[in-house]
Formats: sequence, C-alpha cells, structure tokens
Amino acid sequence: MKVRNYIYILLAGIVTLASCKKSFLEEENPTAVAVESSITTETGMLTAISGMYTSMKSYTLFGRNLPVLGDLLADNSYVSITNSGRYLTENNYTYIATASEIDEIWSQAYNTILQANRILYASVPASDNVNQLRGEAYATRALVYLQLVNLYGQPYTVNPSAAGVPIVTQPTYTTGAFTKPARSSVSAVYDRIITDLDSAYTLMPATTPAIHDANSNFLSKYAAKAIEARAYLYKGDYANARDAALLVANNGGFSLAASSSAFSAYWASATNRTDKLETIFELNMSSTVNNGYNGLDAIYNQDGYGDVLCTDDLYNSYTATDFRKSLILDGTRTPYQAYIVNKYQNVLQSDRDEVKVVRYAEVLLTLAESYAQLGDSGEALTYLNRVAQLRDPSLAAYTATGTTLVADILNERRKELAFEGYRFFDLTRTAAVINRPQEGAKSAASIATVTTANTRRILPIPQVEINANASITQNPGY
Amino acid sequence: MGKVVGADDGLSLPGVSVKLQGTQKGVLTDGDGNFVLPASTGQTLEFSFVGYKIQQLVIPAGNLPLIKLKQDSRLLSEVVVTDGYSTTTKKAYTGSATTVKGSQNENKPFSTPQQALQGEVAGLAVSVNSGQPGANIQVRLRGLGSTYLDANPLYVIDGMIINSGDLSRSATTANAMAGINENDIESIQVLKDAAATAIYGSRGSNGVIIITTKRGKNGKTQVRFDAEGGVTTNMAIPDAGKPLTASQYGELYTEGLKNAGYSAATILSSQNAYGINSGQSNNWYDLVTKRGSQQQYNVSVNGGSDNTKVFSSLGYFHQDATTLNSKLTRISGLLNIDHNISKRISISTNLNVSNVNQNTPYNSTYYSAPIASAYFLRPYQLAYNADGSLNSSTSGGTNFPSFYNPLYISQNDVHGLSQTRGLIGETLKWTIWDQLKFTSFASIDYNVLEETYYANPTMGDGSVYGGYGGDYYTRYFNWLTRNQLDYRYNVKGVQDFYIDATVGYEAQRSQENYVTAEGTGYAASAPTLTTLSLASTPVTAQGTYSNYTYNSIYSRFSANYKNKYVLSGSFRRDGSSKFGSNVKYGNFWSVGGSWNIDEENFFKQQNIVSAAKLHASYGTSGNANGLGNYASKGSATISSDYTYAGYSGANYDVIGNNSLTWESARKFDIGIDLSFFKNRLTISPEYYHNSINGLIQNVAVSQTTGFSNAIENIGAMLNKGLELTIQGVPIKSKDFTWSTNFNVAFNRNKMTSVAEGTTGVHDTYYYLAKGLDYYSYYTKQYAGVNPANGDALWYTDATRTKTTTNYAEAKYVVNHQADPKMFGGFNNTWNYKGFSLTAEFYYNFGNYVYDPIGRYFSGGAYSSYNKYQYIYTNRWTTPGQVTDVPKYVVGGIADNNGSDAAVSSRYWYSGDYIRLKNLSLGYDFKDVGLLKRLGLSKLNVYVRGTNLWTKTYDSRLPFDPEVDINGYNSLSIPKVKTYTVGINVGL
Repeated sequence: MKVRNYIYILLAGIVTLASCKKSFLEEENPTAVAVESSITTETGMLTAISGMYTSMKSYTLFGRNLPVLGDLLADNSYVSITNSGRYLTENNYTYIATASEIDEIWSQAYNTILQANRILYASVPASDNVNQLRGEAYATRALVYLQLVNLYGQPYTVNPSAAGVPIVTQPTYTTGAFTKPARSSVSAVYDRIITDLDSAYTLMPATTPAIHDANSNFLSKYAAKAIEARAYLYKGDYANARDAALLVANNGGFSLAASSSAFSAYWASATNRTDKLETIFELNMSSTVNNGYNGLDAIYNQDGYGDVLCTDDLYNSYTATDFRKSLILDGTRTPYQAYIVNKYQNVLQSDRDEVKVVRYAEVLLTLAESYAQLGDSGEALTYLNRVAQLRDPSLAAYTATGTTLVADILNERRKELAFEGYRFFDLTRTAAVINRPQEGAKSAASIATVTTANTRRILPIPQVEINANASITQNPGY
Repeated sequence: MGKVVGADDGLSLPGVSVKLQGTQKGVLTDGDGNFVLPASTGQTLEFSFVGYKIQQLVIPAGNLPLIKLKQDSRLLSEVVVTDGYSTTTKKAYTGSATTVKGSQNENKPFSTPQQALQGEVAGLAVSVNSGQPGANIQVRLRGLGSTYLDANPLYVIDGMIINSGDLSRSATTANAMAGINENDIESIQVLKDAAATAIYGSRGSNGVIIITTKRGKNGKTQVRFDAEGGVTTNMAIPDAGKPLTASQYGELYTEGLKNAGYSAATILSSQNAYGINSGQSNNWYDLVTKRGSQQQYNVSVNGGSDNTKVFSSLGYFHQDATTLNSKLTRISGLLNIDHNISKRISISTNLNVSNVNQNTPYNSTYYSAPIASAYFLRPYQLAYNADGSLNSSTSGGTNFPSFYNPLYISQNDVHGLSQTRGLIGETLKWTIWDQLKFTSFASIDYNVLEETYYANPTMGDGSVYGGYGGDYYTRYFNWLTRNQLDYRYNVKGVQDFYIDATVGYEAQRSQENYVTAEGTGYAASAPTLTTLSLASTPVTAQGTYSNYTYNSIYSRFSANYKNKYVLSGSFRRDGSSKFGSNVKYGNFWSVGGSWNIDEENFFKQQNIVSAAKLHASYGTSGNANGLGNYASKGSATISSDYTYAGYSGANYDVIGNNSLTWESARKFDIGIDLSFFKNRLTISPEYYHNSINGLIQNVAVSQTTGFSNAIENIGAMLNKGLELTIQGVPIKSKDFTWSTNFNVAFNRNKMTSVAEGTTGVHDTYYYLAKGLDYYSYYTKQYAGVNPANGDALWYTDATRTKTTTNYAEAKYVVNHQADPKMFGGFNNTWNYKGFSLTAEFYYNFGNYVYDPIGRYFSGGAYSSYNKYQYIYTNRWTTPGQVTDVPKYVVGGIADNNGSDAAVSSRYWYSGDYIRLKNLSLGYDFKDVGLLKRLGLSKLNVYVRGTNLWTKTYDSRLPFDPEVDINGYNSLSIPKVKTYTVGINVGL
C-alpha cells in the first residue's frame, strides 16, 4: 500500500474521532445563573437580597397570610358572611393539614429561608456593603423562623422542649433535593433565631452603607435588634427583651407620629420612609411589583375582596378621641353594617401599601411589658403612656401595677398593632383562652372560645410535607 | 471491482451476491453496491439478489461496466433498510423496521407526513385529533414510552436529527414537519427495536422515523406534473352529539323551567330573555363551518448521468378545513444532487426549503373558539343584527355575554403562523481503499416561525384591552456533523463470510432564539389594520434563547455468513448538555441476530414456504426528548418579578437535579417473516418487551428545601405486545390483481414502579399505581336514572351494588383506559387493466374516550348552553321510564343537590372505531400509442375521497372517537372529508 494511503487513513481517522472539547456539553441558561456561583460580588449579593425580599413579600407569607391570620385566629377580625371563600376554616378553627394557607405559609417561609441561606453561604470578601447584606439575610432568616416556630410549634413559654420546625441553614444545592430534615425543638429554633439576630446586629453598620438606599424597605442594624426584642419577649426572657428594646429606643433614632395629621399622613402613605418615623421595617409594594388582587390591602378594603372585617369588640375598644379609631371605617359589607379595616388605603392606586413588619410602637410596648414583668412599674408606665397618650392625647395616663399593668399593656398592643398580625401570638405566648367576638349574621361560621386545650392553637404541619418527608412528625390533634 | 445498480432506478444495490462461476469465490456488494472480486478477463460473474433476476456477465478487458439488475416482479420489494448511519439489505438486517414507500402516500390530501402514516405500520399509533391543517400529531410506537417527557418518536430527515413536534408559541397547534411535501418522500422507515434504535442512543427509545427524500436517477430526464383540486366537507357529527335545533332547545328549556317549579309568568319571562318566542334563531354549527377547498400542484424533474444525478421539485399545497379560518398553504422545494468527483470520491447535497402559512382558530373551551361556540351558544343567540351586520353586543340573552360571536371573531381576529424551514445537508463519501470508506456529513435544520396574534378591540379576548396584538419570532438553528469510517473484512478462506465494522463521531447543537412583543390599544376605526405597530401601548418585550448539545461516539459491527446467519452489535456513547453533571454520558448498546432459514439446504426440499427469516434482538436505548434544556441545573433566575424596591433581583427558583438524565429502555424483540406461495403471502408476527427504567416523575420533595417538587429518574414502566403484518396477493391474473396489506398491534402498558408518594390521582381523571396502565381512568361511576322520579344515581361502591342520589357519596373507581388495546390498518388495492381502486382502513379498539365538556351539554344545571341530541331524545319525562338521561331541570335536580350532570363514568364512551381513511379510483393510460401522440410517458387520472365512512360502537358517543392520545375530546377543529380529482402527467 502506498504511503499516501496511510496518510489518508490517518487523516480520516483523526477527523472521525476528534471529539470536541468537554465544554461543548456546557450550555448556560440565558435568564438564570448556576446557583452555586451566582453570588461572587457585592452587586450579585444585592440581586439575591432583592430576590429574598420578593419571596418574603409574597401574599402567601408576609404579603397577606401572616398578618391576616395573626388577627383572624385571635379576636380582632372575622370573615364576612359575604366572602370569596378565603380563610373560612381559620375563621372557624376547622383547618386541616391540607388547607391551602397552611401549606402556603410553610412552603413560602422555607423558600425565603432558602434565599437567605443562598446569600449566607456565598463567599464574598467582607466589606461594609457585604456585612450589611449578610446582616439582612440573617435577620430575615430569624424573622421567618420566629413566625414558623410560633405557628407550627408550641409557644416557648408553654413548652420549650416541644417539637418546633426543621432548621435549615444550608442552601438546597448543598443538601440535595431529596433531603428530609426532622423538626428541631422549639428551644433549638429560638437559639438559632437569637444567634442569627446577634450576627445580624453585629455585622450591619449603624449607618446603612451605599449598596442600596437607606430606607424602611430594608432591614437595618436596629431592625434586627427590634426583631430580637420580639423574639425574647415571645420567649418570656424579659431581661433580654428589655435590653434589646432599649438599644433600639436609645440608639435607633426612631420616633412616633406627634400629631393627628402626622399619624393620618403616615398611614395614608404608600411609599417607603427615610425619616425613621414609626416604621422600622416594611416590605415594598411598588407600582410594578405588588400582590395585586391578592394584596393585604385588598383582603380588607371593600374595593378588593374585602372579606375580612374588624370585630365590633375591637372597634368599641378605642375611645372616640383615639387617632387609631380613624383607621377603621363604619361602613357596609352588603347587606350588613360592618367595621372596615382602613390601615391599608392604597388598594386602588398603582403604588400599593407597604406591608408593615416592624414598627417602633411595638418596640416601646415590648419595653413596657418587659419592665412590667421584671417588676419595674415606673419604667413600664413611662413607655406605655408614651405610646398611648400620643395616640389619644385626651387619654388619662395608665397607673396600674402588677398583672393589671401587664393586661393594660397587652390591650394597648392589641389596639396599636391590630391587623399587623401580632394578636394571636400575644394570646398564645401568654397561654390565654381566646375569646372570639361573635358577629352573628354578619360573620361566616366562627367558634367563640379557643381554650388552651384546643390543639388548633398550633397549625398542622402541611400534609404535602408529611407525605414527602418521612422524618417529620405531625402536631397532636391532626 | 465493479458496481451493481437497479436497472429501473439506477440506485445502487447493496448485498448482491457476486459469484465467479466455476470457482468457490464469491462476495456480496457493500452498502453502495460496490464489490471487489479478484478475477481475470473471460471468466463469468453471476449476480443474484432477492427480488431481482439472476444475471451473468463475461468479464471484458478493462473496466467492468455498470451492472444493472432487472427486477423480478415479486411482492417483497422492500429490500433496503437505511437508518441514517448505514444502508443494508432487509435480509442482512437484524433489527425490526418497517418501510413505507413514499409512492404509497403521494398526492394524498394530508398536510403532514404523520397523518399519512396512520394505519400503515404495525405498532405505530397515530392520533389525528385535529382537523386543523398542519396540526401537531401525537405518534406512539409500541405504546406510551414516557409519561413526563416527550413520548413521540425521533424524526430524522436525510440523516439529520431534526427538531420536531409543535415549535410554535402562539398558534393553537403547529407541526414542524408540515413543510415536508409527501411527493418528495422516497421512503419512510420506522425503526422499532433495540438493534434498530440503539444507534440513536439517548434519543431512540420511542422509535425513530427516518424520512428519505427522492434522489436523481440515472437515465432519461423525467418531468412529472401532478395536480389535484377538490373540496373539504364536514364529517357528520354522530347523531347523539348534534346540537339541538332552536325548537328542540326551546322545548327542553321550557320543560326544565317547569320541572324546576317556576311559575308560568317566570317561565315566560325566562323564555323571552333568551328570545325563544322571538321567531329568530340560527344553526351555529352550520354557521361556523363551510365547504372548504383542497388543492395541490407538484412538479418534479429527475435525471442524471453516471456521474451526476439531480432531483428537484416544487410543490404547492392548500387546504381549508371546514371550520372558519382554519387553513394552511405550503410552498416547498427540494433539490438533491449526487455527484461523483472521482471514482473514489462523491458528494451529495440536499436542499429542502419550505414555507407553511397557517391560521389556527382556538380550540378547547375558549370563548373565542369557533367549535366550542357552536356547541355552547343557544340557537337563539343571533349571529347577525337585523340590518345584516355581525352582532357584537355582549349583553342580553340573545347576544353574547360569555361566548363570543364566532363569526365576528373569525372575521376580525388573527392567529397566524408562518413557518419557514430550510434543511440543508452535505455528504462526502471517500473510498480510501476498497474495504475502507470515510463518510463526512454535515447538516443544518433551520426553522423560523413568525407568529401573529390579533384580538380586535370590539368583541372577544381583546376587548378589555382595546385590542390586543402580539408578534412572536422564533428561530431554531440546529446543526449536526458526523464523521464515520466503514470497514469491510472478507474473512479469508471462507466464502461469503464478511464482517462490517463502523466507527463514528457525531456532534449536534440546536439553538433556539426568540423575541416576543405585545401591545394593546388598537383603533376600532380601522378594523382591517392589525399589525403590532398600530398598538398604542406596548406591554411585553422579551427575548432570550435556549440551546442544547449532543456529543456522541458510536460503532457497530455485523458478521454475515452467506446471508444465512447474521450477527450484529452496536454501541453508542451519548453526552448531552441537558443531563445533570453527575451523569453527563450514557452508554447504549444492542445485539441482534437473524437467521435466513430459506438459505438452508433443507429449506429447498419444500415449495410451500418461499422465504423465512427469524430475527431477534436485545439492547438499550434512551429517551431525552422534551427534557428541559436547563432543568438539571439548580439556578437563580433573574426576572422583573424579583425586582425589589427598584433593585433587580434573582431568586433561586430552579431546584435542579445533578443526577437528572435520560430514561432508559431495555428492549427485547423477536419476529419471523414467512412467505408462502412464491411470496404471494407474507406473514410477519413479532413480539416485543420494552422495559423502561429511570422514568422521569415529578416527585414531591420536602418543602424545607424551598421547593415543592423535583423531577427525578425514579419510575419504571413496561410495554409489551404483539404485532402482526400480513401482506398478500390473493388474486393475480393477466388483467386483474388484488393486493392486500393487513396489520394489527396489541399493546399492554403498565407501571412497574412509581415513586413513593406519587401513587394516586394524576391529571385529574387517571390513577397512577404500580400494575396499572398509565392512562387508567379514575372516576365516579354513574348508575343511571331512577325510573320512578328521574333522579341521577351513582354507585357508592366499586362492586356496583349500592346507589345514591348524593354525588358526594359516589365512589371513585379505576375503570377503562385511554390507550387502545388493539389498532392497525387494512389496505387493499384492486387493479384491473388500467384501473386501480384503493381502500385504506384504520381501526382502533379497546380504549375509552372522555368528554370533559359533556356535562355542559347534558344537564339542566347548565341550561344556558345548548345540549346534545342524545339528551333531548332520551331524557326522563314519565315515571317508570327506563333511560340513562335524568330529568331535565333548570338549575339541576334538587334531589341530586343540583349535581345531576356532574362528572362521572356517564361521560366516558367506547373509543372503538373503524374508518375508511382513503378511497381512490384511478386510471392509468397504458395505451402507448396514445401517450406517444400526446408526447407523454405517463398519464394517470384519479378521484379520491378521505374519511368517507366511520363505524363506531357506542350509540351514546357524541363526538368523533379519534381524540387526543390521553382520551380527551378537546373540541379541536373537526377533521374533514375531502373529495379530490387529480391528474399525474409524466413527460
């Protein structure tokens, strides 16, 4: 055979068997980044922070379900007989493990935790900007766990060793899709919450650095501390609650509305704040990205679904001179008279109401309650009256002491934080019987009394989680 | 060395036995008809080949002339199998493959090749559920091969693995293969078993359909002209499902009001609100359908010399369905050139360009869907105003408060698709030396889809926006390259024993790119101007791309001893960008063997069986069609939805699965081909057993991961069955011939493993469980009507003993399945002198079909919609009456809590049918003298009708039983009958 033939064969062989580079099999998604390498810079981390907040503000979590249930399960609100079918089982304490809101909260909470874990797992060289963003992620994770453990687990004040919720601190790409974590104890979840909030407070600079705007739409150093005060309060650790709340009160720079007009203007506004008035942290609902018809404003406002109404009992608890009474309208939910929640007023605007998550008044009332529980009635009354008398200038100052003072503070919390999702936790952490005002024909089916023995004081673990996760246990009674 | 070709077509003949007379020397020709046999001038060569006459040649001095074998007119003419990688003879082939000759389907009024394939291949289920010309068509080979991914076969055209299916983004339905002209197809091969499909690796397990286009033939240039024209008309709706006439509707409605206990005054005002006493009505089905047209014209040129051959064609095809505005126009061209550069090097070029233009009205129950409107609208809702203009009022009982006026929509809205495809291929063949060949192939599959949507501002989906429009541009650039070495080794010292070995490398990349623009606000004053530029407010601007790659090495070998024993094997290693990082590459293999019993000496002792071949194979192939291009990668998506407080955001929203990969089928196949009476009768039974592992399921995961579901290769499924093909020529005389082809397939599908937690209801009406057919229905069981009072009854137990009037208490039961247990085709051709009559039947048995909208057309709870004829005829009216249609009560029967028409087994029907798919009568002018005088070489005229007759087996059935593969009647554009007259002229 000629040499030339061998050359030909060689040539053909090379062409035939020459394979492409391995990178030929790597195709990159044009609208997404591989999650492992998605955060390598400060701006990459900021993009992830935006994703985290949008997850958090979903109507299935802070955007509606959490603030609604926090009042509906207690004594502040009820579902009208004329309704769109939402929240009926919660109104009547008949929810089961397949109820949609039960699963929505659980799944969206862990989605938000996932977004936070992704940020905390990224390695970007430390800087003020990075510390700020990591602090926001820590504070978010803690805030979500605080909600989860109080909804799906026993109150810490009732049984800290009871089953809480699974603690997930790593992003799913490191654990794999088929991980099946078990529930940690309530106290373990609280330990995680406190640790995260301490990290957040330590990491974040006192002045928000330039990475993003400094306004109420972003968690800040003192927002983390305020959430920590709430966590300690729920835990019944009043000394630490006091210390945390004091840090916010003394160093945070926040203030309350000083006049009726300032108060009205505050609640009428749909935009974020840079003046540290009232709001410590609220979730942005812009004209382009908001919850639309599923928004918190739409479930209360009669221009939206308008299903959830204020109980007569709560309305009547405000004095005529209380500014806060103006946030509830005496109106009609066809065909009945009804008290209509008007805290969120921009349902018809393109720029919708921000969802309040942490307000300064809560911190002051936490401070009052902590002092009262620690036996310092004087300090307690100072902070209680500061809030109460600003809201109702005609109010005679509170003077009680002991358990009456604690009851006064809890009552003031009810009036101040109504429709922001606190009341249910105030009743469960104090192991109180929940007496739910009965609104007769105006209301969809509703039970009057929730005793401390009622197992529905704790939500069921969603059935889909039970089905998919063999390690998890259901709460008693479901 | 020499080359053997067919005398009639000049195509090379592989596998021809070449013997040197007076010696033991002999050899078989290779895939290109070449052979090498040392011999000297003056010796005699003998060429023999199945289906051809034996020919002898005395070796002349110098080069051998081209050897042209003449056909021995026998039935078994499908002698060559081409699978995209190599060409071999049927005898030497170890796999299971069925060939459909292109000529069989030329000039049929079918807009896609899949439609024509229906009933022609045993085991190939083709569901033509839409009469929209150019509709996507679901095809299943040997049962359902995948539940989460695409279960359609892989399509290969002239060696190119194409993007197939419905590539559109706006059109109601589209078919990437609608651009293929049936008259350009030389043959279609359907590859079935492992020996045939393993060479396609991770994409072959649902079968592979190989389309080979026509190529130029040696000899006098032939010019052919085909023309046909005709009409399309409605296939009759079964009597049970005809919408009621105006007077019937009025009567039923009035009776329903009376039964509901309304006062005479209320009844009168309700009647008047619906215009029942107005004396004005119309027949909606007649209004939304019409007689359509069907035309096609094809011209082709075919010719060449020994060194250069050309086939070129131009085609035009137009079809109007009978439904308003449902139409397709195709223009296609093909240019195939084969050229020998030298004795050892040849090149081939394919160039296939087509444009398909469609308008696709909505189907299903959209308010804008014409067929849904024809059923839902009452006869008293009036299409036209008193002045003859179209009624566009959306309030009032005689106007259109919900479903729109379909005439207004069809006149004003646009739902169009223009699909332009270019398929370009280039092959270089180089015979390095006699035993070693190198083939290099490169191909581009270029697809552009331009879709336009326009909803007018006055009535319909666009009215709330003041008109809504969109332009959707989608482009697919898909390239493939393949380099292959073929080596033939003639085993020394053993006559007629050779080994073929092939090794190759293949790479493919498909790039999809798309842009979407939408806008609202059109001027109502200019209703004919519909382009997007006229929209006053832009609402959507999106553009992105999506790509995938494959990278493969493959090899195969085949040992052939005297064409008697053949053993083959194949191996392919596939890598794809779609697969998870843990499993980037997969290996696929097969072994197969065939024993041509008719080559044995003992066989020649008898003369009843004229040919016999036993073949069997085992191996693996995979399925990854439909796997998301980026589904395996956990990723954070950047989207405006994640923008927060003005800062753009990304959310970790794709869970990913690094172990996500192809579904793998282990296939076993055994079959025998037996021919009797000099091949007048051929019987080919075949058994297969396909076990699919790693079936992808959507599995619920712990939500603590931040996700609810992940897809995982976790399930398993089995398809096993039997196929039988019988071909025969029962009568053959000088003037009269009857040839027949019958095929039937039986398939049994069952889940053999399902992921934990997925057992239970799937897709609302089916039940997923180990041991069940995937498409097992799951529904409440209807128990008929209480003859005493007309109430609907349901069973409360699976054994059907106790009944209830409370629908909520009725029990769900697994019953019947959506996929057929038996289906096939039965085709006959009778030739008498120049006349030829062809009748082709398709049949389908053993499945049930479901009418998801049946309840709207059955119960008084939905009294505002028109009703089926069956309801009117059989409704309960008198105590003691035995029927299966409850009393008609507006608002529903009180005893049933108004649920008398709720979903139950009542809306499931036997899906059995036989259809006369095609009937044609032609006359071939054989008078040579006449043809000569006309200057023609061929003249043929024909008349043809399609879908002329259908036999169903359920008198309650309200619609055509040929529905979607999952058994749903989705109110698609109805199929049509066509009547055409055509002429074929050869110059």
